[in-house]
Amino acid sequence: MSLENGDHKVTQPILASLTRPQPATARLVPVKTFLGEMPLALLVLAMLLGLVTLFSGDSFTLNTLATALLFAGLSSAWNIIGGFGGQFSLAHSVFFAVGAYTTANLYLRAGVSPWLGLIPAAALAALVACVLSWPVFRLRGPFFAIATMAFTEVALALGNYMEWATGGTRGMSIPFRPGLANMIFRDRFSYALLMLGFAALCLMVVIAIKRSRLGYYLQAVRDNEQAARAAGIDVLRVKLKGMAISAALTGIGGGLFLMQVRVADPSALLSLFDFGVKFALIALIGGLGTIYGPLLGALLVIPLESWLRAELGGLMPGANLIALSVCLILASLFMKQGIVGASGRLAILAGRRWRR
Amino acid sequence: MTAFWARRTSAIAAALMLTLGSAAAQDLKIGVVNPFSGGMALYGDEMTRGFDLAVDEANAKGGVLGRKIVIVRASATSAQEAIAAVEQLIGRDKVDLLSGTYVTAISNAASEAALNNNMLFWETNALSRDLTDRGLPNFARSGPDSSAFARRSVEGVLQLVLPKLGRTSQAFKVWIEHEDSSFGTSIAKEQEQLLKAAGIQVSMGSHSARAIDLSDSILRAKNAAPDLWLSTGYVTDHNLLLRTAREQNFKPAAMMLVGTGDTFETRDAVGKEFLDGILLVSYPRSDIGEAYGPGAAAFLKSYQAKYNRDPIAPQSMSAFVGMKILLQALSAAGSTGYEKVIAAAAKMDQPFGTYETGYGVKFDKTMQNVRALPIIAQWQNGQVRAVFPKETLAAGVAMLDLGRK
Amino acid sequence: MADLINVIAVGILLGGIYALVSVGLNLIFGVIRIVNFAQGEFVMLGMYGTYAGYTYLHLDPYLTLIVVLPCLFVVGAVVQRLILAPLRTEPAMQIFATFGLLMLLENVVLAATGGAAYSVTSRVAQISVDLAGVQVGLVRLIALAAATLVTVALGVFLRYSMLGRAIRAVAQDRSAARLMGVNVDRIYMLTFGIGTMLAGFAGCLLAPIYSLSPQIGTSFILPAFAVVVLGGLGSVPGAYVGGFIVGLTEAFAGYYLDPALKHAVLFGVFIAVLIIRPSGLFGQIGAEEVGLRES
Repeated sequence: MSLENGDHKVTQPILASLTRPQPATARLVPVKTFLGEMPLALLVLAMLLGLVTLFSGDSFTLNTLATALLFAGLSSAWNIIGGFGGQFSLAHSVFFAVGAYTTANLYLRAGVSPWLGLIPAAALAALVACVLSWPVFRLRGPFFAIATMAFTEVALALGNYMEWATGGTRGMSIPFRPGLANMIFRDRFSYALLMLGFAALCLMVVIAIKRSRLGYYLQAVRDNEQAARAAGIDVLRVKLKGMAISAALTGIGGGLFLMQVRVADPSALLSLFDFGVKFALIALIGGLGTIYGPLLGALLVIPLESWLRAELGGLMPGANLIALSVCLILASLFMKQGIVGASGRLAILAGRRWRR
Repeated sequence: MTAFWARRTSAIAAALMLTLGSAAAQDLKIGVVNPFSGGMALYGDEMTRGFDLAVDEANAKGGVLGRKIVIVRASATSAQEAIAAVEQLIGRDKVDLLSGTYVTAISNAASEAALNNNMLFWETNALSRDLTDRGLPNFARSGPDSSAFARRSVEGVLQLVLPKLGRTSQAFKVWIEHEDSSFGTSIAKEQEQLLKAAGIQVSMGSHSARAIDLSDSILRAKNAAPDLWLSTGYVTDHNLLLRTAREQNFKPAAMMLVGTGDTFETRDAVGKEFLDGILLVSYPRSDIGEAYGPGAAAFLKSYQAKYNRDPIAPQSMSAFVGMKILLQALSAAGSTGYEKVIAAAAKMDQPFGTYETGYGVKFDKTMQNVRALPIIAQWQNGQVRAVFPKETLAAGVAMLDLGRK
Repeated sequence: MADLINVIAVGILLGGIYALVSVGLNLIFGVIRIVNFAQGEFVMLGMYGTYAGYTYLHLDPYLTLIVVLPCLFVVGAVVQRLILAPLRTEPAMQIFATFGLLMLLENVVLAATGGAAYSVTSRVAQISVDLAGVQVGLVRLIALAAATLVTVALGVFLRYSMLGRAIRAVAQDRSAARLMGVNVDRIYMLTFGIGTMLAGFAGCLLAPIYSLSPQIGTSFILPAFAVVVLGGLGSVPGAYVGGFIVGLTEAFAGYYLDPALKHAVLFGVFIAVLIIRPSGLFGQIGAEEVGLRES
C-alpha cells in the first residue's frame, strides 16, 4: 500500500474523515498533498489579511484580532501533538514561557533583535519539550494530561525561584522603544500583521505535517498505538518529533507574546487557565485534529471572550466569565466535534437533503 | 437581598444607557481599569466604589471643567487584558483619561498602552516602585508606594514596638514573613534593609498566598524565636497563618501585619481575643481621628448611604482621595491632556492632613505623591483602631499592650 | 528531634486533608475515567454551603453536613446527566466541559459573594491539643478522622453493597457489566453524584480550617490529582495512603528545604513515581493503559 501522491486513490482513514463510509462501497478520495492544500490555505490567509485591513482604523478590534491570531497559531501548534498525535498535553505553557523568557533575555541582556531571538527560543523550547516529555510519553490519556499539568506546576515554582532567568515574581519588563528591529510597534495594525504572520507560519507547518509521513504516523499512533507499533512505526520517536515541532512553534509564540505585552511574571505566563488549557480548548472548539479548526476556534473564542469582558466586565464581579463559561459549556455540548466537525455534519445533512 | 439586586439592576441599566450613547457629548469620561474577576475582584470593586463616590461629590458641585464626570469601567486581571481594556476604553468608549488599578502588572501595561494613545494614566493604589521609577511622562500615582508601607512598618517597630516592650534594637529579633509575589517581596526586601540599618536582627521567610498549609512557615518562624513577627500578605494567607500560629502555640511578643488583616475577614477567621494587640500597617481607615484625616467620618456616611453597607476594605477611601486629587489636578490644568495635567499636578502642594485619608499632595520628580502614607492601626477588642501617627487616634482611643494572650 | 516529630505530625494531618479532598476524585476518575477539573470547585461549594448553613440556619458547621451532602449529590448527578453524559464519546470535550464548569462555579460564587473571604468558626476550631509534645489543632484531627471514616465507609460500600458492586463492575469492564444487566448510565450518574457528595463532605470539614474564597478550589485540584494518581487508580486505600505521601512530602520539603519550593518538590516526586510506576503505588498494573477513548 503506497501513499504516493498523484494518481493513486486510497481509502481515507476512517477517523480522519468527516463522512461515514457507506456499507457497500467505501468512498474514495484523492490523496491530498501540501501543494494541493495551498489554494485553500492561501485563500484563508488572504481572508484574514482582508479582515485585518478592514479594521485597520479600529485599534480595539485590531488588538482583539492580533490576540486571536496569536492564539490561532498557538493552538495550531498544540494541535500537532494534541490533535494529530492524540497526546493531550497541558504543558505547553511551559514551552510558551521558555520561548518568552529566552527572547526577552536575549533582547534585554545581549541586545539581540527579537526576530533573531525567536530562533534560539524555538530551539530551547523544543529541547525542553523533548527532555520533559520523553519519560512521560509512556503514559496514556488522562495520565499524560495530569503529568503535563504537574510539569507546569514545577515550572511555576522554579520560575519564581530562578530570578536570574525570569526576574522572579517581580517579573520582566521590556521598555517601550518602538522600532521594527525591536519588534515593538506603536500601532496595533503592525501587531495584527505580526500575529497574522505567525498564524500563517503555524498553518503552513500544520499542513506540511498533516500531508507528510510524520502526520500519518502521528495519526496512526493516535488511533491505535499498538497497531502502529506493530506496523513498524517508532512510536516514541514520532511522538518526540511531533512534540518538538509543536513546542518550537509555541516557543516562538511565547516570544511574540512577550514582545507585545512587554511585561510578564511566571505566574502570568505559566497560568494553566490563561494559556495551557486555552490552547487545548481552542483546538477542541475548533475541531481536534483538523487543519483549520484551531484557526476558527481562536477567531470564535478570543473575540467572544474580549467582547464579553468589554460588555459585562464592570457589571459585577465575575459576570463576564460566567457568560463565557456558559457559552463554552453549550459549545461543548452542541459542537462535540468542534466547529469544523459541526460544519462538516451540517454539510452532510445539507448534501443529503439536496440529493433527495 | 433587594439592595443587592437593585444595585445590579441599576448597574445593568447604566451600562445599557452608556452603550446606547445617551450620555451627553460634553461628559468628561474617565476610564477605569480594575480587576473585576479573579482574586483581586473585591479590591477592584471597592476601589471603583471610592471613585464613584468622589465623582458623585464632584458632580454635585457642577463637575469638572464645566462637564459632568462619568466613570467607564473596564475589567482586566492580567497585562494582556489591561491592553485590551485600554483599547476598549479609548477606541470604543472614547474616554478622556484613564485611572486604576490595584495590581502592578495591570497598571504597568495599561499605562504604557495609554501613553501610546497620548492619554493620562492616574494610578491610585498599585504599589510597586517600578511604576513611578519607569519615568513615563503620562503617569502619576496619588497613593502610597511599597516603600511607604515598608518605611511605615519599620517606624512602627522602632517607635511603637520597642518602647512598648521596653527593649532596644540591641538583640531584638524580627522574623519577616511575606507572600511570594511582587507585592510581598518588594515590601519585605525594603523592610529587611531598613531594619538591618537600625541594628536589628532579621530572618526572612516566604510563602505562597495560595498555599494549603503554612505550618512550615510558622514552625520555621517559631524556631527562630523572634520578638516580633512581621508579615506582609493577602487576606487568605494571613488568616491561615494566624490560625496556624494559634494551633502551633506560636506566641511572639509582638505581631504586625502589613497590607491586609484589618478587615472583618480576619476577625471572623481568628476571633477577636487572639487578635487583640496585633498591629496593622494599612491604608487609612474611615474611623481615624478628624485631626489626621478630615472628613473621614463623612466619607463613611456617604459610603453607607450609597451602598447600604460598610466598606469592606480601606482601599476604597484611598481610591476616593486619589480620584479627588485627580479632579483637582484637572481643574488646575484646565484640560485633560496629559502634559498639562501632569504639569498642574506637579505644582500642587497641600500639607499632610488635607484629605480624608490624611494625605497631602506633593509629587516628586517621578510623579509619586510623597505625602501619601499608610497608617498603623491595632486590633482592640474586635475593632481596628488607628494608633500611629498620634494624630490618627480618635477620641478615647489609645494604644494597647501588644501582649499575646 | 522534637522538630522532626512536629513535621511528621503536620504532614500526617495535611495528608488527612488531602485524602479527604481526593476520595471523591478517586471514585470519579477511577470509575468513569473523567478528568474532573471541577472537583475542587465542588469542595468549594461544600465550604460555602457550610457557611450558608452556619450563617443563615445557625447550625454548627459540622451539622450543616445534613444539608450540604444531599444538595451536592443532586448537583453532581445533574451535572453528570446534563453535561458529561452527552459527551461520553468525546473524552477531550469532557475535560473541556469540566473546565467550563470550573470557571462557571468559581465565578457564580464570586458574583454572589463579591470575593470577600468568609470564615466559619466552630466551637472546636480554637482548640489545640497537645499530643506527645506536639501541638495539633483539633479541627485537623477531626478532618483526619473523617478522612479515615469516609475511606473505610467507601471501601465497605464498594465491596459489600449491591450498588457498590455494580460500580466496581462498571469500573472493571463496562461492556461486561452491561451484559450483566447493570444500567451503566445510571451508575455513572450515581457515581458522579457520590463523588461530588464526598467533595462536599470534604468542604464541610475543611470550612473551619480555611478562609473561604472563590479561588480556593483551584488550590486543591492539582494536589488532589497527585494523590489519586500516586495512590493508584481505582484503589480506595491507595488514595488514602497517597494523601499521606503527598502531605508528608510537602511538610518535609516545606520545613527542611524552603516553603517556596515545596510544590516543586511534590510534583517532581509525583512525576518520578509516575514514570517509574505509572499505575501508582497501589493501583493495578495496567490500569493506566486504559486511554481516554471508550474501549
